[in-house]
Formats: sequence, structure tokens, C-alpha cells
Amino acid sequence: MLIGLDVGSRAAKAAYYSGDGYEFRIVSSQNWEDLLRDKEGVVVSTGYFRKRVPHDFNVTEITTAIYGVRRFIKRKVDVIIDIGGQDTKVIDIARNDFRMNDKCSAGTGTFLEYIASYFALDVAELAKLHRLAKCAAPINSTCSVFAQSEIVSRLVEGYTKEEVIKGVHHAFAKRIAQMVPKRARSVAVIGGTAKNRGVVEALGKELGVRVFVPEEPQVVNAVGAVEYYLAREGER
Amino acid sequence: MIGITALVPAEVIYSCGEAALDLNNFVPNSKLEPEEKLCAWTAIWRELVLRGKVKIDKLVVVAGGDCYNALVEGEKVELAGKPTHYFTYPFDRDSKVMQEELNALAEFLGGIKEEAFDEVAELKKLALEIHEMRCNGEVSAEKGFLIEVSGSDLMGSLEKYRSAIEEVREEEVDYEYRVALLGIPPIYPDFHAFLQEVGMHVVFDEMPFEFIRHSGKNLKEVARSYANYTFAGHIKHRLRFLESQLRRHRVDAVIHFQQFACHHKLEDRLLRDYLYEKLGYPYMTIEADLPSPTPQQARLRLEAFAERLREVW
Repeated sequence: MLIGLDVGSRAAKAAYYSGDGYEFRIVSSQNWEDLLRDKEGVVVSTGYFRKRVPHDFNVTEITTAIYGVRRFIKRKVDVIIDIGGQDTKVIDIARNDFRMNDKCSAGTGTFLEYIASYFALDVAELAKLHRLAKCAAPINSTCSVFAQSEIVSRLVEGYTKEEVIKGVHHAFAKRIAQMVPKRARSVAVIGGTAKNRGVVEALGKELGVRVFVPEEPQVVNAVGAVEYYLAREGER
Repeated sequence: MIGITALVPAEVIYSCGEAALDLNNFVPNSKLEPEEKLCAWTAIWRELVLRGKVKIDKLVVVAGGDCYNALVEGEKVELAGKPTHYFTYPFDRDSKVMQEELNALAEFLGGIKEEAFDEVAELKKLALEIHEMRCNGEVSAEKGFLIEVSGSDLMGSLEKYRSAIEEVREEEVDYEYRVALLGIPPIYPDFHAFLQEVGMHVVFDEMPFEFIRHSGKNLKEVARSYANYTFAGHIKHRLRFLESQLRRHRVDAVIHFQQFACHHKLEDRLLRDYLYEKLGYPYMTIEADLPSPTPQQARLRLEAFAERLREVW
């Protein structure tokens, strides 16, 4: 068996490949050992903790994202946006280039968790409320501190919780869109945040391009680790 | 001992019978947590001087061209009682103006006593030989960087600097890619060693190379040389200089190292547009704040950069 093991800042993901297909499992980062329990095979690790977990090979999540997206999306993708817990990576496949935001939580999963906790919601509920909004409240900042001050102002002005959340999603998408090359025509969004349809819709609007979301956006890098191994097998 | 805060012609300091001490060299290994911080470099050296952790008699601040945060930090040190001089590079590279600046510097230091121009020029020539060995893969980037970055103050003693150069031994450096490190020197002390680990040999450190590139046999020649310090003038000169150096050093990829709250950060777009978009060099930006071993986020970026280079850029 081949095991793609992606241990990131918030979640650990495994893709088990036996030759005829993949099985997946996701746990919190601290419980990554559960993913290897009773499993035997070649482990290809990725994610921030790729060198801290047992592995036969390790590769960065920039490379695994490219290989993983190729497996999941058969259409031409110019750019991959990987929204992680602690950082966001924008990978320009056409030019083999990438950019990362890892200096502040703006445009990362942590920011949305912060917003959800402000409203005493689970982060998974944000998309549901986004759908119910009649308009997006104007929010400009994606700095956690300044955004909270803007949120309070908008609520005081009479915007609903749903409209404020939709506004937050647009601010979030604008922040990420600044990192995306202007010539991109199609974008794939991966990472746990890609499950939030509100963010994906806002990204599509801000970028004005086709946005693809793989069926299992959170395990793309784990799958990509296996795919990278398979592609490189001949070289070993 | 004369504290300096960026590139100040050390030839003049030594010719005035004084020794130079580049305060920045204390920063990468400092554990000090500075108050009122924008740029970590300037805030840490300011605190080191104010708290007496680094002893200097006078301070020379590069106040124009190069580092602007240093200007205010220098004022704080001066108002705390340390004799301080503000050194300015001419933006238009006028060597006559540069010479006036050198004269003012010499006056602040008590005037030229015994010219050290020839000896400093000879030491810098030796440092340039180490640089060539590094380019040829005969000296590690880590050791080459140490010699070059120490060219700013010549280690506080010309003898000490000469010994350090003489101690460098030829070695064989294994690497996959030749890399240029642009911008300010990294605040992470293990940065060059880490790059070597992932197959990237830094053959050109922009600012440290400037430290050993300028010299002259007299004040006029020194002024003419330092007027061309590319970090201080219009960026168009720097871009042209970099283009020629990247070609000369047969560089495969470029890393731009920048510092939080440094005005040079604004140049990243210009460097990227010119070196990546126009000339086609693979380009990576790393931003740092406080000194520490190279953090995991930066390591991830650099490893991924090496992987991308392997996948044929």
C-alpha cells in the first residue's frame, strides 16, 4: 500500500492507495498517529510536519498540490489556491511559480475560524448563513483585529449577521485574489476552506474566472504525495 | 570604537585612527526583545547600544540612502548622550557630494591621521578572491558570506580581518543550483547553511558583495567608488547592476530577502518585474521579522522553491 500523509497545522489527512483507488481519513493534527495505526506501506509525507512524522519520502505541499489537482480535476487549471489553516498558497501551474501568505492570518482558515467564534458558530455553518444573506455588508479588512472592529460597526449600522458573514467572505476572497496572477482563466481551490461554498462563490466573483473545487478538497495534498511518488517511481 | 548602522566607508574610519563596529552583526544572534519596534535590525542595535550591551564611543548612522528607520533610532541614541553623526549617500551618485560627506565624516572622527586606504583596499581584494572561490564552489556560502558581510567593519580590526581571510580553506561544495540572495542580509543566522542543505549554493549576496566591492587609494577615489553603492541610489542603477552580476555569477535563481517594516520591501515588485518577468530568473521572496533560526514557513518555501527548480522552471 502507498500512504500519502499530509500533516498540516490544523488537520492530518491520509490517502491510502492500494492500486485500484483511494481511501481517505482526516483527524486533527495532534492525532496523526491514528492515521498510521495498523497500516503498512510506503509513506510519502507532506505538510508542515512532513519531516516530524515517520516517512519513506517527503515532499512539500506545493508540489503535492500540483500532482493532487491533476488527479482530481481533468480540466485545464492555471492556478491552484490552497487555503490552509495557517497559510494560503497560490500556485501558478503554467509558470511553475508560487506565492504564500504565511505572515498573518488574513486569507487563511484561521481567520474564518476567528470570525465563526465571534458569532459563536462552527466554521462549517458560515456557508449556510452566507446563502441566506440578501447582500454583502461592506467589509474591507482581513486583519483579525480590524475586521472585528468593522463587523461591530456594520452590525450597529443594521446589517444582519448573514450579510456581515457574506461581506467577510468577499473581503477574504479579495485578499486572496491579490495573490492570483491576472492572466489566470481557471482556478482550483483546495484545502478544508474550499468546502465553504460562500468563500468559493466570493472567489469566483472577485477573480471573474472559473473556479473548480475537487470532490475531496482537504485530501488533495495527501493524494498528491502518492501521485508524486508514482510519477517518480521510474526514477528510483 | 565607532558604531556603524549600515555601509559607512570603513576606510575613512580606520584612516582617522579609529576602528569600526557594524552594530548589525550583533543582531542575528541576539535574544533581546526590543521595545518600539518597526525593523528588528535597527530596534535591536538601538537597544544594544542604549543598554550598554555593545560598547561604542561614537555612532555613525546612515541617514540618507539605504536605511531610514536608522535615522530615528540614531536620534534616540544621540539624545541619550552618545556623539552621533548622520551620513548620507547622494541619490544622484554625485561623487563630489559623496566626497563632502566623507570629509564631514572624517571631521566628526577628528580628522585623517594615518591613511589606511591602501591596506583596506588590499584586504577587500583578498575578500574578493574568497568571493571568487565561493563562485567556483571552492568555499561554502556560509563561510564566504561571513567574510563578505564582515567587509563593512573589517571585524573591528584590520589584523583580525586579515587572519579571518587567511584562515579560509579551499573545500569542495556540492550543490544543484546557483542562487543570488538579494536585499538585506538574512536575519536568520543559519540561512545560508539551510539553503546549502536543500541544494542551493548562494554565489552572490547582494549587500555583502557591496561591502567588499568599494575601495580607493585616496579620499577622492573612495568617494567615486561609494557613490556607486547601488542600494543608496535610484533603483534603475541597481537593476542594471544586478542584471550584469546575475549573468556574471551564472545564477539559476534569485531569492529576495526582505525585512518587516523596511522601506526596501516596496522594491520587491520592481525587482520581481525586472528579474522574473523580464529576464526570466526564478524568483522567491522571503520576509523576516525577529532574529531566529530559519522558521519552518521559510524552510517550506525554500524547499518548495528547490523542488520547483528541479521540475524545470
